[in-house]
Amino acid sequence: MRRRDLLKSSAAAGGAFLFDIVPRRVLGQGQPAPSDTLRLGHIGIGGRGRTHLRPEADLGKPLPPTPGQGGDGKGLRSPALSVALCDVDAKHLDDAATRVGGRPKTYRDFRRLLEDKDVDAVSIATPDHWHALMTIMACQAGKDVYCEKPACNTIEEGRAMVTAADRYGSVVQIGSQGRSQVAAWQAANYIRAGQLGTVRKVMCWHYASPAGDWTPDADPPPEIDYNLWVGPAPWLPYNAKHTHGSFRWLIDFGGGQIRDRGAHIMSIASWIMGTDNTGPASIDAKGEPPRDGMYDSAVTMEVTYEFKNPDWTLVWAQPGTPSTELQARYGAVYWGDAGRLTVTTGDGASTATDQKVKDFSSQCDCGKVPRSPGHNENFEQCVRTREKPIMAMEAGHRVASLCILGNVGFQLQRKLQWDPVNERFINDDEANRLLSRPGRGPWHL
Amino acid sequence: MLDDQKFLSDIQSDSADTRFAAWRQAGEASPAVIPQLARLAARQEGAGKAAREALTTMVHSVGQDPASANRAAVEKGLVEIGGPDYALPVRVHALRLLSNIAGEGSVPAIAKWIGTAELREEVVYCLERIPGEASNKALLTAYKDAADDFKPRILAALGHRRAASAVSLCLEAMRSSNREIAVMGARAFGRIGRKPAVAPRYPDPNILSGTQATDVIDGMLRYADAQVKEGNMAEAMPIYKSALERSQEHWQCAAVIGLARIGSADAAAAIFPKLKSNNRRVRITAENAWKSLAGPKA
Repeated sequence: MRRRDLLKSSAAAGGAFLFDIVPRRVLGQGQPAPSDTLRLGHIGIGGRGRTHLRPEADLGKPLPPTPGQGGDGKGLRSPALSVALCDVDAKHLDDAATRVGGRPKTYRDFRRLLEDKDVDAVSIATPDHWHALMTIMACQAGKDVYCEKPACNTIEEGRAMVTAADRYGSVVQIGSQGRSQVAAWQAANYIRAGQLGTVRKVMCWHYASPAGDWTPDADPPPEIDYNLWVGPAPWLPYNAKHTHGSFRWLIDFGGGQIRDRGAHIMSIASWIMGTDNTGPASIDAKGEPPRDGMYDSAVTMEVTYEFKNPDWTLVWAQPGTPSTELQARYGAVYWGDAGRLTVTTGDGASTATDQKVKDFSSQCDCGKVPRSPGHNENFEQCVRTREKPIMAMEAGHRVASLCILGNVGFQLQRKLQWDPVNERFINDDEANRLLSRPGRGPWHL
Repeated sequence: MLDDQKFLSDIQSDSADTRFAAWRQAGEASPAVIPQLARLAARQEGAGKAAREALTTMVHSVGQDPASANRAAVEKGLVEIGGPDYALPVRVHALRLLSNIAGEGSVPAIAKWIGTAELREEVVYCLERIPGEASNKALLTAYKDAADDFKPRILAALGHRRAASAVSLCLEAMRSSNREIAVMGARAFGRIGRKPAVAPRYPDPNILSGTQATDVIDGMLRYADAQVKEGNMAEAMPIYKSALERSQEHWQCAAVIGLARIGSADAAAAIFPKLKSNNRRVRITAENAWKSLAGPKA
C-alpha cells in the first residue's frame, strides 16, 4: 500500500492514527516530557504551512528559530510536535506527513482536527479567505492559534476574530513575522528613542501584481476538495490559475500585493508608529486593475492613509519609489523631521535597516521596545504564559484593515472617510456594505 | 453622458486597451445600456470581462449615496438582468452587485428568485447585505417554504443581520428534530443576542457532534455576552456559571472572562475558586480576571 493510500484510508476512517503519548523515560535522555511539548495541529500545509511543521525527528534537538521567522538567533525553540495535519489537497497532506514523520493524524476537514483533544494549538496557513473563520472556530474549540497574515478579508471578520480571542482568552499570533526580526526591532528602537525626530510620513514601495491572462475553467483534480477550498467565499468555478498560490490575485480570496506583503510592511509601520489599536481617518486609493485576464486585484496602486492625533501619512505604493539607501524589492522609508531610515522587506530573513540604526541599537536599548525571540517561538512561549504575543489579534486586525481599506478605496475609486473607533465609513452606504461579506453554505462568522 | 452606441462598441473592441478605457468610464454611461451589457457579460473573456467590469463600475459610481439620482435607475436595471431571461452567471453577477446598492424596494423582486435552486445561495447573500426590515421579512417568509437543507442558511443570514424579528423563529428552530436546523437556531439566537419572552430551550450538546456542541455552547456564551452589554446581568450570570462547571478549560475561561465583565460580588465569588485551579490556563485566566475586577467588587 502506498503511503498516500494509507493516509487516505485512515483519514476516511475518521482520524487516522492515534498519537502515542510517550513518557520521557521511553524517549530517552534529552527528550522533553510530553507534558512540556506543545502539540500542534496544522491546517493548510501546501506552501507557507510547511515551514511551521515540527517534525518528530527534531523533538529534543536544540533548535534555533526557523530562518525568516525572526529573532536574534541566539535562543532555542521550546519543544513542540506536529501531531495532526489537515489540508483539502491530499497531495499536500501526504507530503507533510512524510516531512513530519512518526504517525501524525491526518484530516481533510479542519473541523475534525479542531475536535481533536490531542491538539493544543493550531497553525493556520490556508488561503486568506479561510483565516477568520478557522481562527474563530479554533478559539471556540479551545485551541490557541498561529494564523498566517493577512488576518482577514473583511473588517467584520477581523473584529469577530478579536472578539473570539477575547471571549475565550485564546492566544492568537498573526504571522506578520517582520516585527519579530532584528532589523525591525532596531528601527523601532531608533525611532522611539527620538533619533528621527517626529515621523510624519512612511512611504512603502513594492513591485506590481501580475496582470494574468485567461485560462479556461476546469474540473478540479480528484485530490482537491474544491468545495471546501472555496468555503465561505462566493462561489467560482475551479481554475488552476486561481487556486493554491495564485488565489492571491483575486480580491475575494487574496486581495493582491497590498494584502499579502502589505500585511508585512505596514505591520512594521503600525508597530513603530503605535497605531495597533486604531486606524486612519481617510483613505485615498488610486490604481489600475488588469486590463484583461481573470484577475481583479490592482496591478499598480497608490493608497494614501491620513492618521490623526498624531498626524502622519502612510503611503502604500506599487511600484512606488524604492529607498535610495538600501536595495530591496520592497520595504518602507520612514521620514522624520531629523532624517530618514529604511526598513527593507519585512517578511523574510533579508529584512534590513540602515547601518546608523544598527550602530545605535547595539549601544542603546532605549526605545523601550519589546523584543521577540522569533515569531513562532514568541507564540509558543505565550501559549505557556498566556501573555499576548507581539502580533496579537487586535494588531493583526488593524494591520489587515489597512490592506482591506486600501482595496475598498481602489474598488470604489473614491476617497473614503473612516471612523477607526466604530470601524465604519462616514457617509458611504456602499463602502459600509463592503465591510462584511455573507458566508456561503454552512460557513458563517 | 457617454454616447451609448460608441460605449457598447468600445466594450466589444478587439483591443484590450479600448475595452479598458470604456469600462473605466462606465459610470458616465446611461443605465439604459445595462441589458445590453448583460448580454455581453455572459461571455467569459474579452468583451465579457469588460461588460462585467462596466456594470460594476456603474454600481460603484452610484453607490455612495442611496438618494443619488442615477442609483434607482441602475438598481432597476440590475433587477431586470437578475431575472430569468438572462444567463445564470449574469444573474449571479447582478445579485452580487445588487447586494452593494439595492434598497428595500427591490427586496420583493429579489426574494422571488429564492425558489430557483441554482440561485438560492446568491439570493440569500444579496438579501443578507440589504439594510432594513424588508430583507428580514423576506428571509422569514422564505424560511417557511425552504427545504430543510436550506433552512440553516436562512437562519445564518438572520443571525448575521442581528434580526430581532427572528428571535421566535430561532427558538422554534432550536427545538427542531433536525440537528442542523437546531444548531443553527442556537447560533443565530446567540448572534442576535435579544432576550426572548420565553426561556430558550437549547439543543442538548451531549447528543451532538463535537463541532455542533461547540456551536451551541458558543451561541449561549454570545447570548450571555450580549446580555452583559445590555446591562442584563441576571440573564447572563447562570449561563456563565453553567460554563464554569464544564470540564473543558476554554469554557471555564470564557465563563471567568464573562463573569469579570459583570464585575459583581457574586461574579467575583464564582471566579474565586478558579484561582486555585489545577489547570494552568484556567488559573492564569482567573488571576487576570481577578486583577481586572475593581477593588470593592472583588
